[in-house]
Amino acid sequence: MKRQPDQSAEERFTAVFAHLGAVRAYARRRGSRDADGIAAEVMTIAWRRLADVPTDDPRPWLYATARNLVMADARKAARAARGAALHETESVAAAPELHELDPDLSDALRSLSPLDQEALLLIAWEELTPGQAAAALDINPAAFRVRLLRARRRMRASLESPSGEARFPAALAQVDLEGTR
Amino acid sequence: MTDTTLTRLRSANPVPEVPEVSEASKIPATADRELFARITATPGDVRLRPRRRVQRRRVVTIAVAFGALLAATAPFAITKLTSQSGPIKGPAVRREYQQAQHQLTLPPGYRWPNFHWPSHTVTGVGMGSGEAVLIDQTDWECYWVTAIRHGDAAAQQQAHGVLWRLLHHNMFTAPPNASENWTLPNPPTYPYVVMADDGGWKSLERTYEQAAAGHPQQLIESCRANRS
Repeated sequence: MKRQPDQSAEERFTAVFAHLGAVRAYARRRGSRDADGIAAEVMTIAWRRLADVPTDDPRPWLYATARNLVMADARKAARAARGAALHETESVAAAPELHELDPDLSDALRSLSPLDQEALLLIAWEELTPGQAAAALDINPAAFRVRLLRARRRMRASLESPSGEARFPAALAQVDLEGTR
Repeated sequence: MTDTTLTRLRSANPVPEVPEVSEASKIPATADRELFARITATPGDVRLRPRRRVQRRRVVTIAVAFGALLAATAPFAITKLTSQSGPIKGPAVRREYQQAQHQLTLPPGYRWPNFHWPSHTVTGVGMGSGEAVLIDQTDWECYWVTAIRHGDAAAQQQAHGVLWRLLHHNMFTAPPNASENWTLPNPPTYPYVVMADDGGWKSLERTYEQAAAGHPQQLIESCRANRS
């Protein structure tokens, strides 16, 4: 017997699904090669966990989910490329590439930790408020403020550098990816 | 507050068009409609299926209302730190950072992390010392969290006192709509940072007040999110 979807849940999901384009754009901005697939998967997860999706503003939740999927894809691609690169010498990125950016900006962004990058991009590209961006990163607004503040200072300093060289070593840039020391 | 860094980033947005979002969104493209139909044909969230017992429904309603209330407290304006005027290079930045270590006190057991800053890098005065203030702030927050976990009342009081002083002594608020390069008219000789006048400073004050009153959740999150 075919399941009859609950009408109120479907109505609620319609409001969430209205952000499909925003999620697709998010995935593209983060360098996903399958933005449509990521967006579809995010919406499928949102449907299955609809009670967890905030009704007033689902975007932070959707972006957080999209981010996890983009990162998982990037890790998978990196693993595959490492395997393929056994006979090659090319380096393999463990994070999605931010392409289509001018080299200065790209270098400056890459010099930041992944969470610092995300803090800046959620504000600059996704046009979230700091409160929304904090929710997307699952940290409180005060904590987000400090992170954003540091990220902007470092980004600015990096852009002001004549060579555009990364300011922070890769090891430091990877710290706190999961919010733990 | 004008921010050229964010402006430059915004103008470099690789997907600049903002997808239309509306409550009455009718899911425009055919492919999207098909996707919607495909998704909603699968089992949804069991928690949203109608309940028989009114009492359970009330509990769900209260939980949703509570969630909405929490979400409503989230909006928060951007707060930023400005460097002071005058370009300085890497060695001066590192020197600032090192000097600041003599003017700030880390919690017991904490050490100043290495601060990498290439020699040719040009930035504003105050970058190194401001970084030290932020590191000090986060470390004291984490020390406070540890003290709470261990039930160490003296350490909690000490952390609260230091953070209170940092907030009132080393963290300043810029005037509304000040430029990114706004500087204090009479900058102090000790390490400090400048924040935008958008509620960020108040939020920190609230975080510490709540922690001191036995509600440390914001403090815990702040420590976890910012230590590095």
